[in-house]
Amino acid sequence: MHNVASHEDWKSCFSEIGPGLLLFARQWTRSAADAEDIVQEAFVKFWRRNHEINNRALLYATVRSIALDFIRRDKRRARREATVLADADPAIEPQFEWEDESQSALAAAVSCLPQDQREVLVLKIWNELTFNEIAGALGISQNTAASRYRYALVNLKKSLQPQ
Amino acid sequence: MNDFSELENDLKALRPARHSPVLFERIEEAMAEDRRTSTAANDQPFSKSVWRRFMENPFRFGVGLAAAAAAIVLLLARTNIDQTRNDDKEIAQVSPLSQTNPALPAFSARSGVDGSTSSNKFVPSGATQVVYNTRNEGLQFADGSKQPLRRLRYHTQQTWQWRNPSTGASLRVSYPSEEVVLIPVSGQ
Repeated sequence: MHNVASHEDWKSCFSEIGPGLLLFARQWTRSAADAEDIVQEAFVKFWRRNHEINNRALLYATVRSIALDFIRRDKRRARREATVLADADPAIEPQFEWEDESQSALAAAVSCLPQDQREVLVLKIWNELTFNEIAGALGISQNTAASRYRYALVNLKKSLQPQ
Repeated sequence: MNDFSELENDLKALRPARHSPVLFERIEEAMAEDRRTSTAANDQPFSKSVWRRFMENPFRFGVGLAAAAAAIVLLLARTNIDQTRNDDKEIAQVSPLSQTNPALPAFSARSGVDGSTSSNKFVPSGATQVVYNTRNEGLQFADGSKQPLRRLRYHTQQTWQWRNPSTGASLRVSYPSEEVVLIPVSGQ
């Protein structure tokens, strides 16, 4: 067990979890820059309080809490951004790095999922949290986390089926 | 067993976008700044660090102050009861001898209001109320009222002081309080 505060090479630790954290934060923000601000604040807060990095549920709960505060703080700005981004090409700031058309379609399908299903999917697939950890991070029951995950997969499968 | 294993594998193959390289530098800088701030806070004299913590979360201190105030009040009450018991004992012994004015000394000592001979007499010497935060919580309609009211929330620190003129001792109780004021808003 190690924590962020005593971890000499926190960069390697962050390299490992950073992309997943960022993707998680992107659920609530319109731009990657805002998501990076949130991740930075959460990571430093986590480090300051000397929490163990293995307590991933708490780390993701911190990101979520800061992201929700961010939304409340910048409601007006978010509305402005929403108006601008509604007309913009969504590929300007992709949440994923895709290599072919099928991956591009999958990424688009993920971004169309309902918010509650998408955040469980992001935590499960790209952050490799257990349902127990997801439940802790989101403040829901383990069963709810598992069923949201299943609904997400069902919806993805449906949207990827050829019409 | 799992209908979605193929889909899950496809999802795992999809890599999240990388963060900007500047993010590392920003976090490093924020951590260094945080370390500097906490070191500076530790180097501060006790009163300054207490004040800083008070400013960060005055209500945590409020609970402590309220507990301290309650302890002082209980202590004083106990002292007064003890004093009263002693006085009663004295009166019981004295009253047969002095029939003319048996109740006056007991009243003075017990009440602590009038007895110039009492050393337990504390008289109010000051009261302050410092408003350190005001929050405008917007307009609202009270029940049955057609006129909007502006709701203001004041966070204050109240301090009460008593002084014993004969001994010079003073007692001060300070606690945070919260007050909500509704101000009618006219449409003019």
